[in-house]
Amino acid sequence: MSAQRLVIFRGALRTRRTGLLIWALSLAGVCGLYTALYPSMEKVDLEGMLKALPPAMVEALGYDDMSSAAGYVGSAIYGLVGFMLLLVFAIITGGGVLAGEEDRGTLELELTCPVSRRDVYLQRLAALWAQVAVLVVSVLVVTLGLSLSLSLGIEVGVLVRATVQLLLLVGFFASLAYAAGAATGRPGVARGLAAALAVTSYMFNALGPTVGQRWMVSVSPVGWYMADNPLTSAWRPLDTGLLAASSVVVVVIGWLRFSRRDLMA
Amino acid sequence: MSESVIEVSGLVKDYGRFRALHEVQLSVRRGEVFGFIGPNGAGKSTTIKCLLDLLRPTAGVIEVLGTRALAQHPEVRSRIGYLPGELSLAEQQTARMHLEYLAQLRGGAGKDGIERLAARFQLALDRPFRELSRGNRQKVGVVQAFMHQPELLILDEPTSGLDPLLQREFLSLVLEAQRAGATVFISSHILSEVEAIASRVAIIREGRLVTVEDVEALRVKAGQVVTLTFDAPPPLDGFRALAELESLRLEGATLSAVLKGSPDRLLKEAARFRVTHWRAKDRNLEELFMDHYRQPTGATP
Ligand SMILES: Nc1ncnc2c1ncn2[C@@H]1O[C@H](COP(=O)(O)OP(=O)(O)O)[C@@H](O)[C@H]1O
Ligand SMILES: [Mg+2]
Repeated sequence: MSAQRLVIFRGALRTRRTGLLIWALSLAGVCGLYTALYPSMEKVDLEGMLKALPPAMVEALGYDDMSSAAGYVGSAIYGLVGFMLLLVFAIITGGGVLAGEEDRGTLELELTCPVSRRDVYLQRLAALWAQVAVLVVSVLVVTLGLSLSLSLGIEVGVLVRATVQLLLLVGFFASLAYAAGAATGRPGVARGLAAALAVTSYMFNALGPTVGQRWMVSVSPVGWYMADNPLTSAWRPLDTGLLAASSVVVVVIGWLRFSRRDLMA
Repeated sequence: MSESVIEVSGLVKDYGRFRALHEVQLSVRRGEVFGFIGPNGAGKSTTIKCLLDLLRPTAGVIEVLGTRALAQHPEVRSRIGYLPGELSLAEQQTARMHLEYLAQLRGGAGKDGIERLAARFQLALDRPFRELSRGNRQKVGVVQAFMHQPELLILDEPTSGLDPLLQREFLSLVLEAQRAGATVFISSHILSEVEAIASRVAIIREGRLVTVEDVEALRVKAGQVVTLTFDAPPPLDGFRALAELESLRLEGATLSAVLKGSPDRLLKEAARFRVTHWRAKDRNLEELFMDHYRQPTGATP
């Protein structure tokens, strides 16, 4: 009965709505600021400045394509600031929405209500994805809005596609933290694992080409997401599929453990 | 009708390599208040969490309200009210928000009970948890366990944190629920806390069930301390002949003894002399149970 009315889903969102609103506003503010800076950056000889830095470092930072608005928004927001902030949110929240509540004991009464473990697992997972989606959409709204109003000329279709991929990437790390927490009941372990994997996969994507090891990009979820730049690289459906499939895999593994283990032990 | 509501047999629970429960056997009949008594760390909460399918038993069979697979039949939990031993609730939420959430999870059941029970326990519904004292938090737990008038109440050390006045209110709530047909499984580390309401008690110690007894039978077993003062020291032979008297002592003109059984013959013997003062006091069941606790269970090397 509660499964149909999504009581747990709505409850999990309600307790976090203030925090989510603050996150959405801050994220939109930061991303808006970066986007709005582009027209003034065009006037600065950015390319010249970057040439002064070692090329490997520029490439590793993803700052190698500043000549177009798409290149700039892609590397500065979708590839760095927005992306990083979203990952931080995803990993903290992913570990908190189930394992965190179990650890603090606040899940106990819900688990002893007439709901199945599957309801708890799936609806809380859905609440996590919904929160990630809200934030990702807030990034899209700001960049798209500013791109249109400042006539930056970023293609809408490309921006939307990159946003979907961003959602899949951030959703993957959120799901990883969630599933690891569901499997172990330990939010700290779950967040640590997801953060370590996120950093590793970022480094693999950034350093692989520099050290001439393309395979490092091929095995990295961050590489599947953006390769060089999520807005200017060609779309790779296979990589997008890999991202989506990875979320499914970790969610299934998390469930297998969560459905069998001791809760509130 | 002695249909059982909780039926546990051979329940074993390991935490890693530590065995918290050793083949626990329990049978709780419909309509009774059943006390589950044991010192801290005896395994009360572990047993209770197994009953609710929070913990998965290492071995053994658990049947609650006729089902052996609560995991496959979560709807059965709508007939259970559970008060955890350690209640945690989201700090920023108010009691009302939380209670209404739980009512929704129970398909709306108990929503009407919130105001009534909150008023009865003088619980401020609209203050966030972080502002509530330990006693007030416990009241929220009590309200959520009772509000949907469940058929089975599983209460893990419910009176801890309640002041004596509220404890009494709580005990009367339990008795009302029982009168309305509910079965109550109540744990405590102090026997005297549940003695007044329980009809049977199980004693658990170091993960093993020591005994299950009728509270009435226990009272008889525990006996009464009787003190009789006479105008002059009476001869003891008549009293010594009574098998129901133990630990007979005479100090001056005051005779004291532990009476186990009917007082009839004692009174008739005493009436042969002039009694100036008399007192009879139920012996604390706690004292009796100290004997149980002291007995080695064989668990420790
Ligand atoms: N999650 C756990 N991991 C390991 N040991 C535990 C855990 N929970 C309880 N124990 C141990 O199991 C025993 C029984 O605990 P518990 O059921 O909480 O006792 P009670 O509720 O009777 O005080 C204790 O020795 C306790 O230390
Ligand atoms: Mg306990």
